[in-house]
Amino acid sequence: MKSNLVILAFLLSFSPLVVAQNLLDQLNDVPQTTNNYTMSTFKATRISIGHSVETRKKNTLEISFMSRYWNVPNSSGNAFVADKMSARFGLDYGISDRFTIGVGTSAPNGVADTYLKYRLLRQTDDNKNPFSISLLQTATYRTRRLNGITLRDNSGDKFAFTTQALIARKFTRDFSLQISPTFIHRTSSRSPLDDHNHFAVGFGGRYKLSNHVSVVSEYYYVANELDSRKTFGAFALGANWEVSKLMLQFKMTNNPFFVEDTFITQTIRNFNTNDGNFFFGFHATYHLQL
Amino acid sequence: MNKFLLVIFLSICTSVTVSSQTAEFIERQGQVTFFSYTSVENIQATNNQVLSLFNPNTDEVAVSILMRAFVFKKSLMHEHFNESYIESDLYPKATFNGKIVGFDLTNDESQTRIIKGDFTLKDSTKPVDVKATITKTNDGYTISGTLDIMIDDYNIKVPPLLSPNISKKIEVTFNFNYAPYEK
Repeated sequence: MKSNLVILAFLLSFSPLVVAQNLLDQLNDVPQTTNNYTMSTFKATRISIGHSVETRKKNTLEISFMSRYWNVPNSSGNAFVADKMSARFGLDYGISDRFTIGVGTSAPNGVADTYLKYRLLRQTDDNKNPFSISLLQTATYRTRRLNGITLRDNSGDKFAFTTQALIARKFTRDFSLQISPTFIHRTSSRSPLDDHNHFAVGFGGRYKLSNHVSVVSEYYYVANELDSRKTFGAFALGANWEVSKLMLQFKMTNNPFFVEDTFITQTIRNFNTNDGNFFFGFHATYHLQL
Repeated sequence: MNKFLLVIFLSICTSVTVSSQTAEFIERQGQVTFFSYTSVENIQATNNQVLSLFNPNTDEVAVSILMRAFVFKKSLMHEHFNESYIESDLYPKATFNGKIVGFDLTNDESQTRIIKGDFTLKDSTKPVDVKATITKTNDGYTISGTLDIMIDDYNIKVPPLLSPNISKKIEVTFNFNYAPYEK
């Protein structure tokens, strides 16, 4: 009898508890979902010098200007700021949220380049997809005939292709890493000693310093380097600064090239601050919503 | 004796279920839109997945807004909103919890009232007074209204270079259509 009363008292004490639950607490128990793809693994289509896993959203156009400046060793010239420069002008367009195309042309090497990038897999916040994977295919064409080189007379010999699988993960809100297995094929090489095919792996990272500024770095390891010349892995260290629709990417690197098949395989300088080895550059990207 | 207990137990059960059937109204696809007007640019975004509960007996209203569900015309604005300003990875929701002052349960037409409550955004909670119109519908209620949010109140940092682009005062409008909440 007594135990029954205890149970009754227990039950009675329970019901007002249920009623007294805050309406907001009750609301928090109702599930609420939206897509949970991890945003902004990197901020731009390029980490620094090479491609990132990011594509552009549908109907957006980006106009970009890349440049590098460097000094010639033992130069007696009176050049302003730097002895030499190279530049690339490019356009990137998002056909869909997962598919981006781009074209560009660079001077003074006269390389025209195009690329297709498809976002195969997107990382999700619940870690169901722990990685993002994008596939990149580039095609470049050398419009200028280089001095003293008799090869490459046929237009078919002036192409080069790069295929990359860009695999990235945003580990924390500030830190992202990317590994990119790379295959490069040239239709011709300057020296008969060189293989037309190269295998390489790219490593890239971003660390966010504030909501608008991040530090980025990249390095490319080439498994079979050129035999005709001593080459080094392309390296870049830079800062990305986002100002509304303008993305500014400042970088220090060891090469003056803008397309994958050249900077990955043909970087002949080691990274240091000596004249001739030190390349300073910036890359400005203006974002337009069409 | 046991029968007596059973009767009491059942009566408690039924009273609880009856009250939960009639007590609350829910909106799962509420609309919240915000505007930022400046001379440099206008920013507008709409969220059509806002969740809200309304209890006409206690005059209580609760709202939960998933920040990632705001849709912008420009994809870059969506990215900046989530990444740099709202930081929706850290603060995924904005919430409101309040009471309608002087709500008249017997009024079958629309009534304009102040909802006094707390609005929480980016872990900052501020008391707000929301002017809203409450209308009885066939099976529920409609509540709509506007609210001004000062971004400085909610820890939203705008770099000095971009302060001309983003208004200090954000206009928020909302429209919720409630139906009986069946749990």
